[in-house]
Amino acid sequence: MNKRIIYPTDDGGVAIIVPAVDCGLTIEQIAAKDVPAGKSYKIVDVADIPTERLFRNAWEYA
Amino acid sequence: MANIITAGNSTNGGTAISTDTSGTLNIVTGSGAGATAISIDTSQATTFAAGVSGTTGSFSGNMSFNSGYGSAAVAYGCRAWVNFNGTGTVAIRASGNVTSITDNGTGDYTVNFTTAMPDANYSATHGQGPRSVAPFCSVYVSNTSSTYSFQTINTITGAVADASIVFVAIVR
Repeated sequence: MNKRIIYPTDDGGVAIIVPAVDCGLTIEQIAAKDVPAGKSYKIVDVADIPTERLFRNAWEYA
Repeated sequence: MANIITAGNSTNGGTAISTDTSGTLNIVTGSGAGATAISIDTSQATTFAAGVSGTTGSFSGNMSFNSGYGSAAVAYGCRAWVNFNGTGTVAIRASGNVTSITDNGTGDYTVNFTTAMPDANYSATHGQGPRSVAPFCSVYVSNTSSTYSFQTINTITGAVADASIVFVAIVR
């Protein structure tokens, strides 16, 4: 599944939900289930997520 | 092989309990001669045909078996598991009863279960590596009946760190 779900964390960072390919749910269903209640979120392409994670904790939700 | 009880008939399939002169009791499914799904012989040895257990079987009670344990005892199952790469493009390699993992930050992950546990009092085990990169350990952060959160740590620096091999198993 080449999609990821991103949402802002309480400390100003960004959380990234990585779906299990064989879980039987769509990316929208996973978002509805696994994004914390009340959080806004976006579904993005995996290519949009940086692979260099040296400053991972400085990433922000935009 | 004489049928004792038949559900359905020989043309449209169904299920039958049958026996033969050896005393073996068979549960047969399918049309015609059918296929033996389960057989029990006079020594009580029970044989499950391939695909009967695991794919369609379910048990509401406790399952006990010996299999080298020393006696038949209740066995407790792994209720969720996942193997993922926590570096680069974070991705799940394989999993069971897991819809996703949440990458909360460097070395900080949450496993999200497909079917929640009956409560939060389950046991979790996790491992990470490889050793060739750093001597990692991992620590519990928090859990609920539907999520399990933990961190992977480089034990030399003491800092939270990403690991390329991460696995978690939940037993209840």
